[in-house]
Amino acid sequence: MSQYLPLVVLLALAVVFGILSFFASRLLAPRRPSSAKEAPYECGIVPSREPPERFPVSFYVVAMLFIMFDIEIIFLYPYAVNHSTLGFYGFWAILFFSVIFFATFVYEVARGGLDWGPMQRYRQLATDAAMVTPERTLASTVRRVGTEGREPESSSPSAA
Amino acid sequence: MIAQAASDSINVAQNVGFGIIAALMIFAALSVVTTRNVVHAALWLVLVLAGVAAQYILAAAEFVAASQVLVYIGAVMVLFLFGIMLTRAQIGHEKGLNNPTWALGIPVAIVLLGLLAWVIIDAFEDDVLPDRGPTPTVALSDQFLSIYLIPFLALSFVLLAAAIGAIVLARKDR
Amino acid sequence: MIAIDPLLEGRLLWTPLLIVILKVVVVFVIGLVSTIFMVNFERKMVSGLQNRIGPNRAGPRGIFQALADGIKSFFKEDLLPSRADRVVFRLAPFLSFVPAFLIWSVIPLGGEFGPNDDGTLKDGTVVWFGEVTRVQLADPPIGILVVLALSSIAVYGIMLAGWSSGSKYPLLGSVRASAQMVSYEAALGLSLAAVLLSAGTLSTASIVAQQDSFVNWNLVSTGIVPFIVFLIATTAELNRPPFDLVEAEQELVGGFNTEYSGIRFALFFLSEFMGVVTMSAVIVTLFFGGPQPLFLGDVNVLAFLGPLSGTAWFALKLLGFLYLFVWFRATLPRLRYDQLMDFGWKILIPVALGWFLLLAALREFSPDGTFADSLRVVVISLAVGAAAGGLFLLALRVAQNNRLEADETPPTREGVTT
Repeated sequence: MSQYLPLVVLLALAVVFGILSFFASRLLAPRRPSSAKEAPYECGIVPSREPPERFPVSFYVVAMLFIMFDIEIIFLYPYAVNHSTLGFYGFWAILFFSVIFFATFVYEVARGGLDWGPMQRYRQLATDAAMVTPERTLASTVRRVGTEGREPESSSPSAA
Repeated sequence: MIAQAASDSINVAQNVGFGIIAALMIFAALSVVTTRNVVHAALWLVLVLAGVAAQYILAAAEFVAASQVLVYIGAVMVLFLFGIMLTRAQIGHEKGLNNPTWALGIPVAIVLLGLLAWVIIDAFEDDVLPDRGPTPTVALSDQFLSIYLIPFLALSFVLLAAAIGAIVLARKDR
Repeated sequence: MIAIDPLLEGRLLWTPLLIVILKVVVVFVIGLVSTIFMVNFERKMVSGLQNRIGPNRAGPRGIFQALADGIKSFFKEDLLPSRADRVVFRLAPFLSFVPAFLIWSVIPLGGEFGPNDDGTLKDGTVVWFGEVTRVQLADPPIGILVVLALSSIAVYGIMLAGWSSGSKYPLLGSVRASAQMVSYEAALGLSLAAVLLSAGTLSTASIVAQQDSFVNWNLVSTGIVPFIVFLIATTAELNRPPFDLVEAEQELVGGFNTEYSGIRFALFFLSEFMGVVTMSAVIVTLFFGGPQPLFLGDVNVLAFLGPLSGTAWFALKLLGFLYLFVWFRATLPRLRYDQLMDFGWKILIPVALGWFLLLAALREFSPDGTFADSLRVVVISLAVGAAAGGLFLLALRVAQNNRLEADETPPTREGVTT
């Protein structure tokens, strides 16, 4: 336990350093807030839509898988440290654990739990011939996305 | 004689440390249920779990403390936060966070506390814990790979079930 | 083994207490100075690699540039966005800065190594003011787990910074970043298990003490694979290029810290660069023997530095890794997010787990390391590994087919991807 006291002292020192620098900055820095400065940064554009409130479920699956791996790792460490005295018995137990674990992982992969983004597909000229004909139009070549929840046509750029 | 007195003073220091951390934990735990923001509640919960880790260190169970931080703070709470962000994670106060039947939770919590206290008192009565140094990690592996082998292997199946559950929740099948 | 610096064990002794206070201050200063050095080093090296001059105004050859930048940040307005969550917004820089600092405390920074007069090897302890101690702030028995635990706490700084800003790009950046960091933390932990297998201890001082010659360096004794996995995972964990999707400027402005300014931004900046130095130090400790000298024959080239030779070796190895990270940044283009996740989960993690099991099997069934035994174990492991790999490839195929099928059915509502 005595080995953790220096850590606590260093922690306190780091926190004090941070607080002191805030304090110094408060004394030294100007404070001239304006509504434009405090608005969410969007490269100069006035924010028109709320930040997303929902995220893809894939992130959740990744976090779930990470919990599994963390638990596996936590059990691997004592074995790794002590493997010489545990002998064959310990090895088989860890192997069995890892096999079940790997099977879970394979299942997760097979069900697409770790697939991200759209699939990479190469286009065939034959199937995409319509894309390169002289008759092609904007509507036939450009796939419009992100239009959910908007009124049709009203958002189309008229000045262009 | 001097060593005895010194070790008593260390026990006092440990008890004071326990008291401070426990008070912090209780405050954080109450904040989890009273705060008006879901993400803040999750952060208070992180503080409670960190307090548990600190208590483990005070009890000289270092490996358990590290696992507590790695698994609970590093993984489970990250999952919680992702889960919150999946549904909604507004900034500022929210209304309607309390379930209308929240008061039912109080008796349940009291019964749980009583049960845990009873189990611990029943098992240890007034035994004094042996005064010894940190538990070596080696001893841990001896335990879970011998007498606790069955629970250890059962754990892998629990994880399998959890993974399947996550997939079922996440994928909508036709 | 007697614990070093026995505070609160038995009587309170003043000499160990003074030594500990001295060490805390020294480690704190080393942390700050090395970070400032790293900022300069990176800017100079990158500019060299890109064939430009780089900072050359502040001080001779621009060596005070980072210091000047740091001082400047004190004088800059510290904005609090109107839509931010005030408490968490203020808290986040600390959550990212403090863990990076604390990792220093378990890293052996020096010590006496090399042969004693009677031929045995020194174990790295030094004698200061008549006390046996180590050139290391603290040596908890689970030292390396402290590193892992701290790096798992560092996720919160980035995640909460993005969330509390109340702005789109930081939020996207932080969610990406936290998923990336937890993913690669799994690979990090698994490759570390291979090191522990050959070290047989969790204490960083003992891990170093056991790597007493080049063949005993964990780089060699674990096979080179865990090192490579660890290096890649560290790069991703630090959000360094080519894994810097967190701050992919073209898509996300500045990533999770877009809304931060002034001293708060400086703290994020500091923790990022300090992270590079501390994780390089962790790599040196785990795989390259930390402050252990590299003997050329029997000669310790840096022995003339006396008690500082351990620190000099450590600094030399550290510098190599700092350069490596800069080199990565200057050379490698950024990955796409799906490539990043695929690489972490579908390549690094299975490889790290498989390699760990192979090493465990080798130690179990070929304890003497005879060629015949080892060959048998390797052949069997290869067969098992091939079966597992086949199963894994099958799973990938199934997943791909499912997606192809789903692609052909008309999409009802496009999923949102970040």
